[in-house]
Amino acid sequence: MIGRLGRWFNERAKLSEMWQSQMVDYKVPKNLTFPYAFGVMAMVAFLIQIISGIFLVMYYQPNVHTAFDSANYTIMKEVPFMWLIRNVHAAGANFFLAIVYLHIFTGIYYNAYKKPRELTWIVGFFIYFVLLMTALSGYLLPWGQLSYWGMVVTTEIPTSIDSAPIIGKLKIGETISVWMKGGYELGQITLGRFFGLHIWLLPLILLGLVGFHFYLIRAHGISSPDGREIDKKKEGVPFHPYITLKEGAYLMGYLAVFFFFVFFYMKHFLPADNYDPADPFKTPAHIAPEWYLLAFYTMFRSIPDKFLGFVVFNLALILLLILPFLDFSPLRSARNRPLFFAMFVVLVISSMALTILGAMPPTPTNAMLGFIFTLGFISFFVSLPIISILEWGWYKAKGGSKND
Amino acid sequence: MIKTIFFTVLTVVFFYIVWVNNIFAPHEKYEMPQEHKKIAMDYKYAKEGRELFIQNCAACHSVRYDALYLTQVQANPMLTSLQEKYGKVLPRDVYEAVFMNDLNALKEAFGKVPPDLSTIYLVKGPEYLYNFILEPQKVLPGTTMPAVMTGRPEETAKIVAYLRSVSEPSHQEKAKRNIMGVVTIGYLIVMGVLIWLWRGRLLKRMGLH
Repeated sequence: MIGRLGRWFNERAKLSEMWQSQMVDYKVPKNLTFPYAFGVMAMVAFLIQIISGIFLVMYYQPNVHTAFDSANYTIMKEVPFMWLIRNVHAAGANFFLAIVYLHIFTGIYYNAYKKPRELTWIVGFFIYFVLLMTALSGYLLPWGQLSYWGMVVTTEIPTSIDSAPIIGKLKIGETISVWMKGGYELGQITLGRFFGLHIWLLPLILLGLVGFHFYLIRAHGISSPDGREIDKKKEGVPFHPYITLKEGAYLMGYLAVFFFFVFFYMKHFLPADNYDPADPFKTPAHIAPEWYLLAFYTMFRSIPDKFLGFVVFNLALILLLILPFLDFSPLRSARNRPLFFAMFVVLVISSMALTILGAMPPTPTNAMLGFIFTLGFISFFVSLPIISILEWGWYKAKGGSKND
Repeated sequence: MIKTIFFTVLTVVFFYIVWVNNIFAPHEKYEMPQEHKKIAMDYKYAKEGRELFIQNCAACHSVRYDALYLTQVQANPMLTSLQEKYGKVLPRDVYEAVFMNDLNALKEAFGKVPPDLSTIYLVKGPEYLYNFILEPQKVLPGTTMPAVMTGRPEETAKIVAYLRSVSEPSHQEKAKRNIMGVVTIGYLIVMGVLIWLWRGRLLKRMGLH
């Protein structure tokens, strides 16, 4: 009976044809390395966030008086197994961002953003950006001290536009800040709008962008680690079962690490200070954003001028966005590009150093180091056009031409 | 190969620093004698600690998640009728509105309403709490918290044990969670290995190896 029903459905929906054409006949390079699995891990992390979020929203109350208790009493102590769901959601957000960062750096390393995949990269950038917004808005919801004061600091960032020479007089920054908060101070209105954004608008945008990202990947095929495009008619392996099972096995390993943190080490993902209910009259000793924003935070604060700091950290984001156009070299993948590889190492080390510096006290030495690593971060992007020109020279000297 | 090792080590070290043990970020450390730490970490003493809490702390501090309210609130007949309506753990806004007079009296005496201690164990940890309750002025100069427990370290440790029992899952619950964790992780690892082995066989049959 079920078998017949399945066949009836399959004949109408043409599922097995779709499976054959999209999974089996779809050819990918044989030599995909481990970092290529970060993509599917990010997808699974997203699914985990959606599922756990649906359960959390059943018990969470977006009200300044009850938000903290609903998160820390109802969810953590009263309803069976909701502690697990909250742990999964909190650790999941951090893992999601970590995987997205690794995915971004993998893309940079293998030059996966090059023609014809520029749009894939740009859509991916917006996924990253919306993801940061989602994480930020979700961070406010437990209404603890860190949530509250973290958001106070975040909503103050736009006001640094107001210290600009001429446009500062317009008070654009303050307007944005007030608009974000829904008033002059953080309160019920702020919580309400961030709640709405976090559970509806931002995830929906993310879903749309992720869908478009997948479509683009499918349309252009997966890039290969050695930078050579495969001829899909002659070479390549079937996506299923060759890649699906390989990445499926990696995925199990990833989930094992993830659940290790969920069950045994939530200290970082549900930080101690956030078990203190939000108190507008008590400023905590050290306020630093979450780790995934620390690199930008360090850039912002290691530059003495507020407005310039604002410009620089926005510049970092914009440089990331226009990366496919900065790098116009004919060579692909850091494997074939020693100069690019060296600058990639500079980029990785600068990003990590900026993140670590963000959690340290703002001494003059740290500000100096922050400034140096900011330069290191930006030097990667600035060096790309120069490297590209040099590589065009080598490429032509070896007999390659623009039409290849 | 060298590159793989380099990037793997770099990534692992990075996430170890940001997620597990940030050796660069400032830390505050408080010491606690071993014998008292043992008491604070023992669920046995939670009940005794609750009694001590009611005697020494409940005049100013509530523990709402344990349905333990201020002494003067506990004596108020309104509390029972409210609890019938809202459950044992009253919503914060209801509690603060109904018993505003009691809370305001405390505010006048101490400069601010002494905080509810439902989650304080998770915020401060046992060492800080032990030191602070024992000698508030030494840990936080200028605080309005009176030195109620000075010279009674063992009883202080028992109060910490009580606060811990409010915040942390019970012994059996914790054991259950640990088993759940081990089983989940074990299942995932076994599945990963099985997928890998099955893939090897499948690819051999397809001639793709």
